[in-house]
Amino acid sequence: MITAQDKILHVANKLGLTSLQNMQASTGAVYDVDTELSGQIFSQATRHANPSVTNINENQFEVNEALLVETIAFYVKNNAGATLNFQQVYGSSAVIVFDLVIGNKRVMKDTPVFAAGMPYSFANAGTQTVPVGEETRASYVPRHQVYMEGAGVLIPPQVQWFVQYTIFDLVTGAQIAASAETSIGCYLFGTKVLLNFNTSI
Amino acid sequence: MSQVSKLSYVDGKLGAPSTGQQTTRILFNTIEAPGTTSSLTFFRSFQGLTNGQTNLTQNKLDSMESMVIKTIWLAQLSTADVLQAVGALAQQTVSIIVGNQTVVKNLPIHFNQGSNGQAFDRLHENAGVRIDDTGAGTDLVQIFQPVEIRLVTDIVIPPQVAFEVRLESNSGAYGTGAVVCALSGYGKIFSAGNSF
Repeated sequence: MITAQDKILHVANKLGLTSLQNMQASTGAVYDVDTELSGQIFSQATRHANPSVTNINENQFEVNEALLVETIAFYVKNNAGATLNFQQVYGSSAVIVFDLVIGNKRVMKDTPVFAAGMPYSFANAGTQTVPVGEETRASYVPRHQVYMEGAGVLIPPQVQWFVQYTIFDLVTGAQIAASAETSIGCYLFGTKVLLNFNTSI
Repeated sequence: MSQVSKLSYVDGKLGAPSTGQQTTRILFNTIEAPGTTSSLTFFRSFQGLTNGQTNLTQNKLDSMESMVIKTIWLAQLSTADVLQAVGALAQQTVSIIVGNQTVVKNLPIHFNQGSNGQAFDRLHENAGVRIDDTGAGTDLVQIFQPVEIRLVTDIVIPPQVAFEVRLESNSGAYGTGAVVCALSGYGKIFSAGNSF
């Protein structure tokens, strides 16, 4: 069984990053929203407000920092800055089809995220919602996450990454356009490596 | 044997060892307006489907690509985009055929959806209940969960071997919207890597 730490060190060794093993292990997440409606997330993070839209200054980690991506999730952000559930905005038949690109390599390929709920990420409880013109009632609010099989995929230090996505309607097959009020956001969560000066200064 | 080892073992046995990018792979295919029928076959026809309805163009993985199926996922949507019970809760079975071999045979799906409440494992216990018995669902009020079955044995789809998923019932009512099947798991995708 390969652990997250094993995988990070294996990739670091392959890339010749000999000092990564001396850095601080941690847990981390990066997030960003495609407010430009360009179909890419993270690639324009440098222009976005921090932390209301993103928590990174650019879409690459600094020296000796890295993230082993173990969960990828999608959400919607409106103009008021609220984080909303993808299904609650786009409806049950919407689907996001996305790629995760690290450097010049596509590491997640044409991966669907279904509005009706993804494999492994069922909601544990329902919620009370009041759609316009209807009475209050309970419903499931599904999750829109991809849990990576195995140990995940590493974003190494100083390598650019981005998520490329398109939204479709599963029933008609038509593409759905996002708007400023329904911008798509994404977070990448997993084992983080933080720069640790203790061994070098 | 881990999923990584099993994939390498099977690919190696077939003489197609792969050094592709290891990743999480989800394949999906949609059947539009299935109506009432006794059998639906996913990953057989790709004609007229957009990239939002399937992420394959043929019923096999590319050269140097393979995957381990960990989970089968099924959802039925109406033309009004409402998530419905697959086949209207009728008793149904799913089979996966890889090459000329049936690798999952007549596995019942109806226990893991709707109000039948007998999900195969604790992770999916909520899939077996309907959360609101008083009203119909809407596109935003989802009263069911999609069908999801986590397999306890890793099933390998090797490179360039045809596969399909069959859903069988006695005249299941699948409606005029769409039924979607997704296979999720660990896989390898082609990586030019050292070869270009």
